[in-house]
Amino acid sequence: MLSGGELQILATSFWVAANAVLWSLPFAIAAAFALSRPRFPGKLLLDAVAHLPIILPPVLVGFVLLMLMGRRGPVGALLAEAGIQFAFTAKGAALATAVMIFPVFVRSIRLAFEATDRGLFEAAAVLRAGPLDRFFSVALPLAGPGILAGMVMAFATALGEFGAVITFAANIPGKTQTLPLAIYAVLQQPGGEAEAARLAMLSFLLALLGLAAAALLQRRAARE
Amino acid sequence: MSLLQADIGLKQGGFSLEARLEAPGDGITVLFGPSGSGKSTLLAVLAGLKNADRQAVVLDGRDLSRLPPHRRGIGLVFQDARLFPHLSVRRNIEFAGRRATHTAPPIEEVARFFDITALLDRRVRNLSGGEKSRVALARALASRPDFLLLDEPFAALDGARRRAFIQVLIHMHHAWRLPMLVVTHNIDDAAALGSHLVALKEGRVVAAGEFTEASRNPKFQALLDSRDTGAAVRLAHSQHGGHWLRADQVLIAAEQPKAISARNILAGTVQRLTPEPDGVLVELATEAGILLSRLTPEAVAELGLAPQKRAWALVKAHAL
Repeated sequence: MLSGGELQILATSFWVAANAVLWSLPFAIAAAFALSRPRFPGKLLLDAVAHLPIILPPVLVGFVLLMLMGRRGPVGALLAEAGIQFAFTAKGAALATAVMIFPVFVRSIRLAFEATDRGLFEAAAVLRAGPLDRFFSVALPLAGPGILAGMVMAFATALGEFGAVITFAANIPGKTQTLPLAIYAVLQQPGGEAEAARLAMLSFLLALLGLAAAALLQRRAARE
Repeated sequence: MSLLQADIGLKQGGFSLEARLEAPGDGITVLFGPSGSGKSTLLAVLAGLKNADRQAVVLDGRDLSRLPPHRRGIGLVFQDARLFPHLSVRRNIEFAGRRATHTAPPIEEVARFFDITALLDRRVRNLSGGEKSRVALARALASRPDFLLLDEPFAALDGARRRAFIQVLIHMHHAWRLPMLVVTHNIDDAAALGSHLVALKEGRVVAAGEFTEASRNPKFQALLDSRDTGAAVRLAHSQHGGHWLRADQVLIAAEQPKAISARNILAGTVQRLTPEPDGVLVELATEAGILLSRLTPEAVAELGLAPQKRAWALVKAHAL
């Protein structure tokens, strides 16, 4: 079974991934809904910005976060005054992960919004539902199953984040060391291959589980 | 009384809509036209769902032109019902009732009225076409619109279901004093429902006014298939709408017929004879209004029909 160290790594991974998904969620829903609209000024720009983390090297994302949110960065300094620190903490790992999973997240939620019949929004409008009302009472519940599937997918992706996390939050056992970071760490030690293989198997299993859950939810969403 | 007045101009690819129309509040206005004449587009503009290049929409003297759809107070029942699939029948109706600006009628009352009480807790996906249409009507009513637009809500129904649905519409109009504009391209439905008529062809209004009168307009008759040429008659027992009596369903006698099975014999005076490719149209003014009958030129000559001459129209009862 799993050793205490491995359980710790798993716990950190889950904490980081869960927080990343939750923090990313509202922004991903907002961006996905906006992008699912037929046309609006700035759509191309929003689309590009939402996809940026996929195109940029993850290390660069971590570096930009460090510049902004590090203790001497413009945002980080402000937060430090309030006693909040992101760089080199588990919160930082979650933040870096949240940025990295954003494009995947937006894409899957956007599909859910695009799949809903626009005619239903018109039906809601002539029943006196305003734009915000239509979003919360029609668009969101109809996209619900798709959003849930997107969350599972994003969670599975989050478990594998490496470059941005190690750059922004470092690789601190018991604090910011997630599964991929732990695999990297044991590979640095001579004779660490056996442990690396165990962790890799674990990683592989989790990813499979995540994919299966997402597929199941997606199928249920399609049936709805 | 809610009077809806609109003046709309819209260009869309090769299609252009230039329509000025009025729909009085004390009756059902039928918006009639062949497919592609712009009926649905016109409804979408009236409801605020579609922008026009030029639009003036005035309801009861209130200018709605710049208001978004949810502030216009104009309800719209779509051809495909558009019930919310994530809500039960009851929740669909409540959705409308909660947002109504006037007090919504109690849901049980609405359900009884549309005969959907047994469906209230069903999911909308499992409803039949007719059930969906009735729920859509109930939902529209629950939102208490000042004016209700209906886009061929009975298109999916046929035969007896269709006639029953039309009766429900008429009943609804009277019971709730709800002014309506109903789109259809079926002349029988139009005559059954309409107290007023607006006929649309290629984006232009070609005839408008009180139904019986406006439907006599040759430009309106030209929209119909030649077999459907006819006249709207009002039956004594119906306070609303009437019946489309086709010219081919009316026989003419020059003397008062005796010993004959036809139950409907109407005395009248010949108004006009109009030759047309399929024969001669005889216009007869009777107590039930003006009737049209299509005869062969030989029959007209044999009967000696001429304007101002007395004649009798025979109509088989089942044609009415």
